[in-house]
Amino acid sequence: MNSHDVTVLGYLVVLLAGIILQLLATRTRAPIPPLGKVLAWAMSTRTRRVGMLVAWAWVGLHFFAR
Amino acid sequence: MMARPRRSRAARPSSRDQPATGREPGDEATDRGPGGVPEGGARALPSHLANALAGLREPIVVILLIIGFMSWISGKPLDGLLILLAGVSLAWDAGRRSRQAGPAEASSAEASSAEASSAEASSAEASPREPGSAAREDAVQAATAAAPSPAGLAAPDATTDAPPAPTAAGQAGGPGARARWRRPALLAAWLAGGALYAVVTGSFSRYSWPATVPVAGLGAAVVAIGWRGPRHPRPPTPRPPAVGLALWGVVFVAACLWELWSLLEQPDLATSSYAHPTISTLTDPVLSTWAGRSIVLAGWLGLGWFLVER
Repeated sequence: MNSHDVTVLGYLVVLLAGIILQLLATRTRAPIPPLGKVLAWAMSTRTRRVGMLVAWAWVGLHFFAR
Repeated sequence: MMARPRRSRAARPSSRDQPATGREPGDEATDRGPGGVPEGGARALPSHLANALAGLREPIVVILLIIGFMSWISGKPLDGLLILLAGVSLAWDAGRRSRQAGPAEASSAEASSAEASSAEASSAEASPREPGSAAREDAVQAATAAAPSPAGLAAPDATTDAPPAPTAAGQAGGPGARARWRRPALLAAWLAGGALYAVVTGSFSRYSWPATVPVAGLGAAVVAIGWRGPRHPRPPTPRPPAVGLALWGVVFVAACLWELWSLLEQPDLATSSYAHPTISTLTDPVLSTWAGRSIVLAGWLGLGWFLVER
């Protein structure tokens, strides 16, 4: 396993952790909110709402804009 | 009304608002009136600076500034500049509103002490719970939620509450029937517009001006909409359990640190590495095709729609 594989594996582990959390949130009674509720809560004040939207806009700019 | 000692609960800044009022070492805390506003309105420049510094206490502002800085030094100056500008503006706005919340709360307290109405009292209570005027803004919107709204989301409620006579009118093409099919039609129009946007914008090569203009334009428009406030009045979202928030936070921070580690392991910040690929490098093969760009753009649009609707 080379460095490339290790790096990709790291991303996959993080992704898997997110999927597991989402499953725990939706399929069990664990005190874990679904990602949608976390985002909804994060958008509940104007500063956080605007900040999240700016971060979303940055993703588009980062992948597509000059 | 005569001034009196402020002892009402509304005059007491909340624990969350208090740190955001700019009372930092070196700040002009000593010459402020009640609520943290400089008396006499003098020294505008330090006030602006204090506003921005107070806004820096919002974690999302710090995250934006870090993103902007990293974008700048990794060869994306336009991204970096826009995000830095947005971060500084947001810091200033958050600090200004949190500092303005003090006098507003004080005046609400005086009003309530003079036998204010229950609506005014509930508004005064809403202020300390959330920083700045966003709480009052949400409270006002929640209070006006019962008001008649244009056809759209409120329409189904109107039809279900209607007595039998309006139902008959709805079958005959009345306002109820129009509202019933207007929402799906509007949704279909939005979906078609989004698909067209994704296909057309995805047809342009990455990092070209034809791709930059629609992405930057839509991003700016969505941020402007978000800055004005929620699109729909919603009840306050309860804070999720701390354990769950912490777990999601760990996943988010781990993703950021792994990406940062990969970025720093590159030959330089502007040159990608096969051995230590960033997410951008890993998505390059997908985004090199028209279909891949269109699909990713559609996902980006969907996420933006989800966020705007919160």
